[in-house]
Amino acid sequence: MPELPELNPVIHGKLRLALLSLLVSVEEAEFTWLRAKTGSTDGNLGAQLQKLEEAGYVTVEKRFVQRKPQTLYRMTEAGRAALTEYVRALRQLLGGAIEVS
Amino acid sequence: MTGNFEGNELKDRLNLIESMIAEGRRTTESWGWTFVLWGVAYYVAIAWSAWGNSMVAWPVTMTAAGVLTGAVASRMTSSKPETTIGRAMGSIWIALGASIFVLMMSLAISGRLDTHVSVAVIGAMLGMANLTSSLILKWTMQFGCAVVWLATAVAACFVSDRQCAILFLAAIFVCQIVFGIYAMISESRRRDLQKGSKGAVHA
Repeated sequence: MPELPELNPVIHGKLRLALLSLLVSVEEAEFTWLRAKTGSTDGNLGAQLQKLEEAGYVTVEKRFVQRKPQTLYRMTEAGRAALTEYVRALRQLLGGAIEVS
Repeated sequence: MTGNFEGNELKDRLNLIESMIAEGRRTTESWGWTFVLWGVAYYVAIAWSAWGNSMVAWPVTMTAAGVLTGAVASRMTSSKPETTIGRAMGSIWIALGASIFVLMMSLAISGRLDTHVSVAVIGAMLGMANLTSSLILKWTMQFGCAVVWLATAVAACFVSDRQCAILFLAAIFVCQIVFGIYAMISESRRRDLQKGSKGAVHA
């Protein structure tokens, strides 16, 4: 029996997976947009984004727009590669088909 | 690690990825109001120049509409994600506005601006912008607007002054006012659907 692939634990967390899936389809996204799309609380969202940042999967940029603070998140190449690998492993486990581009 | 996971949980993850990617790709901007705003601006400029007989009617109205669009758009887009399609769409309309403004101002200052040339140029440019946008977004209704604008541009070269003006007013009504209101209603329905189908994602 062939060995089953490991699923990346950093990505496997539901909210972190949702965040990476959102970020893979946009160039950059603001904290408030990610919060609205995931329906998460500020604290939980901030903690999960920090974990993704520490893993090198997202980068953060803080700036001011019209005197209001804005926090922007972007997916890194490492994040994209990790998500692609995660989907490949899922596909292998389930035999399903999904495209990440 | 994988041995502990149920098949349903893995399928759940797969569904989550698909739904979030689709969510991110969905056009998030709401731009129907700009079509209505510019349609009204065209009517104001036409009425002002016709009855007020003012040379500054078009430049002042178009500049005011441009400033208003920029001010509202900058507030709207501050919390939206930046996407390649979003930037492409923005570029098309900014390029269109700048091109029409420069060309029409030059024609007006040089005294070579007449009804036929104005309608043909504006119609062709709006037709091109709507056609490009409709092909990128695969939006049949906007493709229809492109056809109307291009037909207006062609007709403007052959019909009388009065017919040309009527054609222009009708094209503005259909492609700016009616299409803009239709887009606003579609966007509102889509937002309601999103609100109804969305649940929180927990860690």
